[in-house]
Amino acid sequence: MGTATGIIKALNSGIKHIALKRFTLRYPEEKLKFVGDGYQFDPSTGVGIAGLKGRHMLFHDHCTGCQLCSIACEGVAEAIGMVKVPEEWKQNKKSIMPQIDYGKCVFCGLCVDACPFYALYMTNDYELSSFSKEGLIYTPAQLAVKPSLDQDVEIQISSRGATHG
Amino acid sequence: MSSPTLPPGLAIQKADERIMTLNVGPQHPGSGHMRIVVQIDGDQIVACDPDPGYVHRGEEKMAEYRNYTLNVPHLERPVIHDSCNILYPYVLASEELLGLEIPERAKYIRVIASELNRCIYIQYWLAIYGIFLGHSTMFMWPAGDRELLIDLMEKMTGARVTHSYFIPGGIRNDLPANFEDVCLRQVNYFEKRIKEYADVFYENPILISRTANTGVLTRENAIRLGTTGSVLRASGIDYDVRKKEPYDVYDELDFETPVLKDGDSYARSRIPWLDMMESCRIIRDALQKMPKSGSVRVKLKPNPKGELGSVYKRIESGRGALGCYIVSDKKPEPYRVKLSVPSFRNLIAMPHLLIGEKLGNMPSIYWSLNYWPVEADR
Repeated sequence: MGTATGIIKALNSGIKHIALKRFTLRYPEEKLKFVGDGYQFDPSTGVGIAGLKGRHMLFHDHCTGCQLCSIACEGVAEAIGMVKVPEEWKQNKKSIMPQIDYGKCVFCGLCVDACPFYALYMTNDYELSSFSKEGLIYTPAQLAVKPSLDQDVEIQISSRGATHG
Repeated sequence: MSSPTLPPGLAIQKADERIMTLNVGPQHPGSGHMRIVVQIDGDQIVACDPDPGYVHRGEEKMAEYRNYTLNVPHLERPVIHDSCNILYPYVLASEELLGLEIPERAKYIRVIASELNRCIYIQYWLAIYGIFLGHSTMFMWPAGDRELLIDLMEKMTGARVTHSYFIPGGIRNDLPANFEDVCLRQVNYFEKRIKEYADVFYENPILISRTANTGVLTRENAIRLGTTGSVLRASGIDYDVRKKEPYDVYDELDFETPVLKDGDSYARSRIPWLDMMESCRIIRDALQKMPKSGSVRVKLKPNPKGELGSVYKRIESGRGALGCYIVSDKKPEPYRVKLSVPSFRNLIAMPHLLIGEKLGNMPSIYWSLNYWPVEADR
């Protein structure tokens, strides 16, 4: 193949793309939709349930303060510390619950796998930026709040190319 | 002469009247910190000394203090773009030490995840190869199309880059509902897209004139220097661990390994692209042959202890044969974990390839070796 033909083919390939749709996701306005409510784990079968590994959610009425999540995290990121909570729970005699430092967390989800009481799971919330280091530390009260999300964009594939729409 | 305040080797210095020593790096000559000390005569390289070791993280030592499960998140950090493949040999070896039998469905899902991850890695590699040659379209297209597969991995594993998906005993979670359809649709579209790279990049005469016949690695030298993966296959040797020592279910799948004879920078850049098409074929085949339901993970006891002995397992990663050697002394933590990484093997070929080349050809030869500094230093 001659040099001129090759260059014309390359240019032609670029020109064809003018007609194609834009694939870029316009992030703060549009947010990608994820599978399910987030990553969960079923200790009875020993298998996880697919979903995004984002910020955790803690169910105070299930947590017994057994510290298994904290022990699992010691070998990974040391992000989980056990702190006292003011409320008293029947199943939690010591009144201690996990507090997670998202400056250290690597979102591996092994703490969720370690919890035998279905108290911890991970949600689709990934927007955790903060102006201070203290703002990244989530107390048990903050972890109990279910995040409100507006993620609705998915990858669509048509004859005019793939888009986020 | 060098300035007295700088340590020797870090300053630009004249060796004699004609030959100049030049440091490329250690701040990101490509991707990751490494230094290439080249001696140039005018524009021609007369000697080259690659100097890795700037991003040593002590991964192997760290693995001696954690149990088999907790080693998973940190062992994938050396190559976060290829995180499933770098975990694969570790997981296979520790399963043999722990005496686990893996469910059939988990094996297929591992193959799919591994092949998707190989494509993600190669797309990232290709984007940087494009920008090294000043081809900004080839930077944008792979980086954009990679998003299709990252989206699939996100649905599968819950994370975009560091998945922590493989675990001794199988995989972390089952596939989400109707994943097969979404995967098939996006992989088919992805394959259509990567075929378009031929016109704009691989058959572009400007690219061919820059990369063909530069940094030629002959068949004999490729064997003698111990290169692996795409570098070895670009020099005409058909060696792929997926074919030679099939692990998991690769012996049941239908695929080929591309081989080229030239051994130059162009052939080395073309092999990963052909590999991606084969990966798409493997994914389609595995989705079809996969058992539609069943267990995906063996339940482990807390802190399982490995049997006395040692195991070495190899897999084919995005860069070449990646091995993991584990010694166990009947404790919950492995006694020794050794990663034998393809990046380091391919780096050995670099001083031989660069001699006699123009300095301007150095980026294309360096990156065509499929070298990832962080993995080599681990």
